[in-house]
Amino acid sequence: MAEVKVKVQPPDADPVEIENRIIELCHQFPHGITDQVIQNEMPHIEAQQRAVAINRLLSMGQLDLLRSNTGLLYRIKDSQNAGPVSFFLSKMKGSDNQEKLVYQIIEDAGNKGIWSRDIRYKSNLPLTEINKILKNLESKKLIKAVKSVAASKKKVYMLYNLQPDRSVTGGAWYSDQDFESEFVEVLNQQCFKFLQSKAETARESKQNPMIQRNSSFASSHEVWKYICELGISKVELSMEDIETILNTLIYDGKVEMTIIAAKEGTVGSVDGHMKLYRAVNPIIPPTGLVRAPCGLCPVFDDCHEGGEISPSNCIYMTEWLEF
Amino acid sequence: MTQAEIKLCSLLLQEHFGEIVEKIGVHLIRTGSQPLRVIAHDTGTSLDQVKKALCVLIQHNLVIYQVHKRGVVEYEAQCSRVLRMLRYPRYIYTAKTLYSDTGELIVEELLLNGKMTMSAVVKKVADRLTETMEDGKTMDYAEVSNTFVRLADTHFVQRCPFVPATENSDPGPPPPAPTLVINEKDMYLVPKLSLIGKGKRRRSSDEDATGEPKAKRPKHTADNKEPIPDDGIYWQANLDRFHQHFRDQGIVSAVANRMDQTSSEIVRTMLRMSEITTPSNAPFTQPLSSNEIFRSLPVGYNISKQVLDQYLTLLADDPLEFVGKSGDSGGGMYVINLHKALGSLATATLESVVQERFGSRCARIFRLVLQKKHLEQKQVEDFAMIPAKEAKDMLYKMLSENFISLQEIPKTPDHAPSRTFYLYTVNILSAARMLLHRCYKSIANLIERRQFETKENKRLLEKSQRVEAIIASMQATGAEEAQLQEIEEMITAPERQQLETLKRNVNKLDASEIQVDETIFLLESYIESTMKRQ
Repeated sequence: MAEVKVKVQPPDADPVEIENRIIELCHQFPHGITDQVIQNEMPHIEAQQRAVAINRLLSMGQLDLLRSNTGLLYRIKDSQNAGPVSFFLSKMKGSDNQEKLVYQIIEDAGNKGIWSRDIRYKSNLPLTEINKILKNLESKKLIKAVKSVAASKKKVYMLYNLQPDRSVTGGAWYSDQDFESEFVEVLNQQCFKFLQSKAETARESKQNPMIQRNSSFASSHEVWKYICELGISKVELSMEDIETILNTLIYDGKVEMTIIAAKEGTVGSVDGHMKLYRAVNPIIPPTGLVRAPCGLCPVFDDCHEGGEISPSNCIYMTEWLEF
Repeated sequence: MTQAEIKLCSLLLQEHFGEIVEKIGVHLIRTGSQPLRVIAHDTGTSLDQVKKALCVLIQHNLVIYQVHKRGVVEYEAQCSRVLRMLRYPRYIYTAKTLYSDTGELIVEELLLNGKMTMSAVVKKVADRLTETMEDGKTMDYAEVSNTFVRLADTHFVQRCPFVPATENSDPGPPPPAPTLVINEKDMYLVPKLSLIGKGKRRRSSDEDATGEPKAKRPKHTADNKEPIPDDGIYWQANLDRFHQHFRDQGIVSAVANRMDQTSSEIVRTMLRMSEITTPSNAPFTQPLSSNEIFRSLPVGYNISKQVLDQYLTLLADDPLEFVGKSGDSGGGMYVINLHKALGSLATATLESVVQERFGSRCARIFRLVLQKKHLEQKQVEDFAMIPAKEAKDMLYKMLSENFISLQEIPKTPDHAPSRTFYLYTVNILSAARMLLHRCYKSIANLIERRQFETKENKRLLEKSQRVEAIIASMQATGAEEAQLQEIEEMITAPERQQLETLKRNVNKLDASEIQVDETIFLLESYIESTMKRQ
């Protein structure tokens, strides 16, 4: 065939114009275009020129390189990313692709953060490189390290301006990775006092026993409201938090709990049931063994007649007898 | 028999019966059942003394005998029975609260003498009571007999097994040791005695020591002239019944602490109604209908039927689970869950010991692991809201004292520690046994300390006894005030102080022994009840 396609040599042999055309194409196909499509559009441009143009667009951050089953796809970076991209670009001018990769991985982790080993798996970069990059990014104030409360040696990385998730910081009971024991103790005592006074008033009312018992119960919602009104906590406490505090009171043996079925609409019911708490007394007084010094003696196993430590010369007994 | 138990038995036997009995008794406890000659040979005591010691021990139900094949009689000591001797004061006190002074003295006499006939008991108790009464009044035998009959009816005293009367005389030689039988029905049957008489007041004599045998001898010769009507029918204190009573007391006080007085009265009524009907080691009492309970409530309590029903419902719904509802006939049938109650009491004892020894945060962790059965280290910290470092420290401390144990669950067949789950758990039975052993050793320590204190001040005690004797004799012969004063001053003030301190210390140690014995009772009942269920 002697048909020679007369190519109208459009004046876009210029690299910039090639790039612009590619960008226009990408805008037309927001899901991405393959190399084939570009080739079809601009058949007169050689592969090398095309490659150069695409590489320039990629390095400028205007195109995204994606892999699909058919081959490589080029996609325009959408306008949402344009803002931080420009900011990002200005920051990352001097960084290389590896850093961009790492940054992207951290960004994807959201506010749970990601551990350095996981970054290594995802990016396949060696450890030394990762560490260098992380230090670099941190100094540029793009990411930050947050100490996990679960394992104190583990550091998770997340974007600088994100709030760490509750599971990392431990929630209301932790402030700066420190467990706030006094706060928990104070809440413990306050809840107990509330329940105790409720039981007292119920006992004094001297009505028939059913009513007396029912009125000595307090639902977890009531306790939550009481604690909120007391205002001893600077952190907002949820009902689950109060329930964990009440559970510790149960383990102290001072409070007992029952669950009753409640209508969905009633205040404080969760999934159709409510938890009720009541202050109780211990069922036996301190037992006989602990009233003798032997019950609490730390050297009990070493004590025998005729030895260094014996009942005859026991100093604990001497002190105890002098009371 | 653990070392601690043997030590405690030896101390008790020595205090109550003396050196020889102690030697024989401890030897029997250590070596199990043995024939007579072996005992004599091993302990190095003469046959005569061994026989006497065994007599004492058998009289007090501490040793039993059995005829083995080839006609050999073997003697076996009962260690648990020896340990009951610690509880004698509590038995006597219970009898006092239930049946006042008469009951108290009857039980005291029975415990101190092992076995006695009814007439002997009645006479002795009447005499003792007459001593304490004012001049001119005496105690009637009939009253004492009445109390005795009441004690037998409520099963606090029971008949000892006796030799059955053989109808036809056995042609062969008599067996080396009699076999004792007791019929279930006859155990509480009081023989028809007509004991008429009054308690005799002991004639006042010069000194207590010499007065006793003098007054005793004429009485004794008077007795020998009349045949004793109920010869051969011996009575002993029924310790199981007392234990049942203590257990009921424990349950009632637990209910009173957890709920209020009225609920505890209802539970007490229910327990009283099932005293005779339920065997002592049953896990549940017989079902009682609410109508019956209403009828049996003590007279002072006038609560209406509805209120009673409400209380019963509340008791049945309580998380303690002491009372359960077993049916709806007769207004609702209720049972008392004895095994569960004992379990709760034993658990509460364990918790109290952990609290006093290690602190309330440790107690929190202990209760947490108790309720949740199996927990990992991390979960313990989260639930108990205790910082990780402290929680770890407390768990290891309790682990080293064997209150908590570890359960390993391996993930891989090679049990590598890094790939194994370690769960903390509480095994109540083994913790109770460990604590029981500690109790035995503690009581042994307390007794030793008491003996030590007494020995230290022996000189002073003897001196004070002498002075008292002198004063008494001088008072009898009518000395003057000034002379008495002079003699009293023989004991100087600091010595008097010392005597006071000694008395106080000995009392304190005694009281402490009884308190530790309460713990022993709870733990032993729980262990026994659990072993029977298995």
